This record gives sequence, structure tokens and C-alpha cells, in this order.
Amino acid sequence: MKPSERGILSEYDFKRTGVKVGYGLMCLLIALIVVSMLYPFVNTFLNSLKTTEEFFAFPAPFFPSKWLWHNYSEALTLIPIWTFLKNTLMIFAGTVVFALLFIGMAAFALSHLRVPFKKWVTLFFLSTLMIPSATYLIPNYLNLQELGLLNSYWAFWLPAGANAFYLMLMKTFFDGIHKELFEAARIDGANEFQCFVRLAMPLSTPIVMTLLIFYFSATWNDFYWPSLVMLDKSMYPLATGIYKYVVYPNSTIQWNVKFALLALSMLPPLVFFLVFQKYITRGLNVSGVKG
Amino acid sequence: MSQEAVARSAAIAAKKKFNWQLWGLLFVLPEIIIFLMFLWIPIVKGVVYSFYNVDFVNGNSFVGLQNYRDVVSSEDFWMAIRNTLYYMFLCVIIGFWVPAVVAIAVSELKRFQGLARVAGYLPSVIPAIVLYGMWVWFYDPIGPINTMLTSLGLEQIDFFSKGMSMVSIVIMETWQNFGGAVLIYIAAIVGIPKDLYEAAEIDGASVWQRIRSITLPSMKPLLILMFLLQIINTSQSFQAQMAMTGGGPDNATLTYLLLMYREAFTYLHFGKATAMGSMLFGVMVVLSFLYLKLQRRSETA
Repeated sequence: MKPSERGILSEYDFKRTGVKVGYGLMCLLIALIVVSMLYPFVNTFLNSLKTTEEFFAFPAPFFPSKWLWHNYSEALTLIPIWTFLKNTLMIFAGTVVFALLFIGMAAFALSHLRVPFKKWVTLFFLSTLMIPSATYLIPNYLNLQELGLLNSYWAFWLPAGANAFYLMLMKTFFDGIHKELFEAARIDGANEFQCFVRLAMPLSTPIVMTLLIFYFSATWNDFYWPSLVMLDKSMYPLATGIYKYVVYPNSTIQWNVKFALLALSMLPPLVFFLVFQKYITRGLNVSGVKG
Repeated sequence: MSQEAVARSAAIAAKKKFNWQLWGLLFVLPEIIIFLMFLWIPIVKGVVYSFYNVDFVNGNSFVGLQNYRDVVSSEDFWMAIRNTLYYMFLCVIIGFWVPAVVAIAVSELKRFQGLARVAGYLPSVIPAIVLYGMWVWFYDPIGPINTMLTSLGLEQIDFFSKGMSMVSIVIMETWQNFGGAVLIYIAAIVGIPKDLYEAAEIDGASVWQRIRSITLPSMKPLLILMFLLQIINTSQSFQAQMAMTGGGPDNATLTYLLLMYREAFTYLHFGKATAMGSMLFGVMVVLSFLYLKLQRRSETA
């Protein structure tokens, strides 16, 4: 057996009964965990197709007796889900454009250009990492209010670039690109902006994908902050809509319809995840190493 | 002649240098403005506002330490601190060791390792608010968990009672979040040189001994880091509490941040809320200072 193929256990260990039994138990435990991970999703989906009586039947049947797709059409009339979805996508798109442009430019400058007072500028950016966002969330809200940005997409687009962690990730990546590449481009008459757009960004697809995924899950997940910043119902992103109208203590929506709504709103991120799975796990490693 | 050429090339170089600096400035300027507007100004304002009575109609007025005095003298404040500490404690007891153990186990799987990783990470993908909705039903008195318990002949559990509700939330959040941590740990475990295990095995180390003296020590820096991140994150928790129990029953799940947001956006006491924020900020600064100090000491040691 090649050394790279072994883990903590070697082939030799498996000849011992104690190890065999332990390993079997461990596999069983992992299988149980996997089932407990998947069960809620399956259960949510199947429950969303049951009648109310079936939903509350005791003991509840696992499969609905008749697949009641009608719950979904009822769910769609209950909240303006398309408006919410549009808002989520608008926020996501603008966030990504602004964040990548500003963070990318700053990271590029810190990595490959001469910036006056570079040390101080870097400190200016990175020292915000020490300050937890929760402590300035309320003044941030008051600040947006004074700037007149409440209830508009700009409240999400403009601050998107204010993230020292992503700036650091991007700068580290740019550091890995050879300087000679840009020098060659400069000799060929490219200005710095062209270097950035035509060379640095295309070469940084992995880190850009990672940031895309981070921003996607943040936009898709965040429900509380938008519920403060967006004042009109017509401006809510999906998660906020679900929070305000579906999931709150003492909500009165019927459970089967509620589950149809929940199933609907977890479908897009599920698809997104399964498509970009490779990048997501890699991105986790990037962020994990950096802490 | 040659002197002139040198002078000219020096002038060109100086111009180029100036150009470079200009480009650099041009590139960082937008980001500097954004950081200033959306991070530094709010951070400073947060501290300033905590000494003011914030009033949108009549204007702000300076009140000195009144906000701090009001906050500290309220009973909810101490209740919230107690709840937050209890919550952090539960997260360590219930949640911290799970991903590390699962990561070691999964990394030993010969087949279906990919499936286990993806399945574990799945709950982190779903919007948190959807999970809260799902779990309110799972924890329901007639929900699936209690149905299972009764069919096994066990007592029902009231998951949202005063004593249980915080535990229920921690269990749910462990279920939700541990997949991401597992992936991070696995990355570290994969990086451990396999020769170490080989050598230990030849020296007669048992499986447990190998885990205890090779795997865990290699993971130690990461474990410490994850522990700190968990402490920082859990000290700021409020979303699950807000969406699932609304801080109840009888304030049993009222965390520090939940109280802060309640002061700000329910009672519109922005001054008091920013005072709470500043206090949290102070604690965080002290903690990170201690961490740096500890780290430096372990480096010199």
C-alpha cells in the first residue's frame, strides 16, 4: 500500500476484530448523521404536499397519500414571491459588481502598484477586521438614514466593498501573480486599468468565484438587516419576506402551505450549491486557512 | 550630451514614478472612501451616539453617561448577559467537539466520503430563516421528533419550555453549522503527513494513541482558532432566538444582541442601544488583545 493511500488506520489494523467493530460502528454513526442531515429536507418537501389533516395526523405518514401540488399555487398567492426573488437577485448582482470592482482595484493597487503611505492605507483597511460588525450595526443604520439610502438597493451596493477580509483574500491572491506579466503589458502600452481588467481579474477566477459564493450565501441568508433597511414590502429580499410573513413566532399560515414556501425558497441555493460545489469546498479551505 | 540623456531619463523615470503613484492612489481611493463612509464613520458615531439622547424629531442632546447608567441598571441587561454566556457555554459543550470528531471519522471513510461531506454541508447552504421555520415544526409537541419519542415509548419533550428552549436552539444550530467546520478540519487532517502514522504504527502505537498523539496535536492550532471564532460568533448570536422564540419564554432566550436590537428598533432608544454596542466593542477589544498576547507568548515559548 502506498503511504499516500493510508489514513490513521492501515490495512494491517483491519485484521483486528476490535478495530473492525469500531470502524463498523463509526460508519454506522456517520450514516446516521447523513440521514439526519437529509431527513429534514425530504420531510419538508413531502410535508409541503400533504393536506392539513394528513400533516397533523398522528402518527404522521411519511409520504402524502395524494401529492397536493395545489399547496404551491396557494403559497404563491400568499406572498409576492417573484418580487422578493427579484429584489434578492438585484441586491446580489449590484453587490457583486461594486464589491469586485472596488475591492479588486484596491487589492490590485496594494499588491502591484505604488501607493503613497501604503503601510498606513493597509492598516486603515485591515484594522476594521478587529471590530465585530454587530457593535456598529445600529450607527450604520443611522448613517444610512442620514445619507438617505434607506429603502433603496444602494444601501446594499455601496457598502458591499467595505469588507477587509475579502480585500485581504483578494490581495493575497494577486500577490501570487507574477509582476513580469504586468510589466510586459505596460511595455505593450497597456495602462494600469487595462492591466487590472484584462489581466488581473481574468487570472483570478478561483478567488472571484469564492467571493461570488460568499456574497451569494450572504445575500440569500440575511433576513434581519434588510428588514430594517428596506421599508417597503415591495423592496424586501426573499429571506426577509419569509421572515416577515412566514416564519415568526405565532405565525398563522397553514403548515403545509408554509412548508411549500420553505421548500420553494431553499430550492435556488440548493441548485446553486450543487452546481458550484467544487468552488465552495475550495473557498472554505481558503477562508479556513486565513481564519 | 550624455549628461543630458541621463537627465532626461531621470526626468522620465520621475514622471513614471509619479504616474505610478497616481494610478495607485486612483485605485485605492474609492475603497478608502467606502471604508470611511460605511465602516469608520459608523464605528466612531457608535461611540459618540452612546453619550447622546438620539431623537429624530427634536435633535440629539448630550446626556453624558446617562445611557450607560440606564442600561446597567436594567434587569434585562443582566438577564441578557447571563443568557448569552449560557448560550456560549452550551455551544462549546454541545457544538464545539462535534465537527472535529466527525471530521476525523469522515476522513477515514474509504467510500462515500464525498457524499458525507456534501450532506454535512447541505444545511449551511439553506437560508437560515428557512431552517428556523423547519425546526419550529420538528420541535413542535406533535412534530416528528416527539412523534418518534412517543412511538418508542418515551416521554415527550417540550422543546420550547423555559429550561429547554436555549438547548433546543443550540442543537439546531449545531446541526446547521457543523458541516462547514468539518470541511475545514478535513482539509487540515488531509495535510498531516502519512509517514507519521506509519512510523507510529511500526512503533506499536494503537489507533487511539495515534489519534491522540498525532492527529489531535496537528489540529491544535486550528482547533484553537475555531474555538476563538466560535466564541466571537456565539457572543453575537440573536437571529435564531429572534425568529424561533422571540426571546421568550419569559426572556429565557433573550441574548445580548437581541436586547440591543430590541432597544433600538422596537423602543427606538438608539442611545441606549449604541451604549450596549460600545460595551460589547470594549469587551471584544480586550479579548482580542488577550488573544494576541497569548499568541505572542506561545510563539516565544
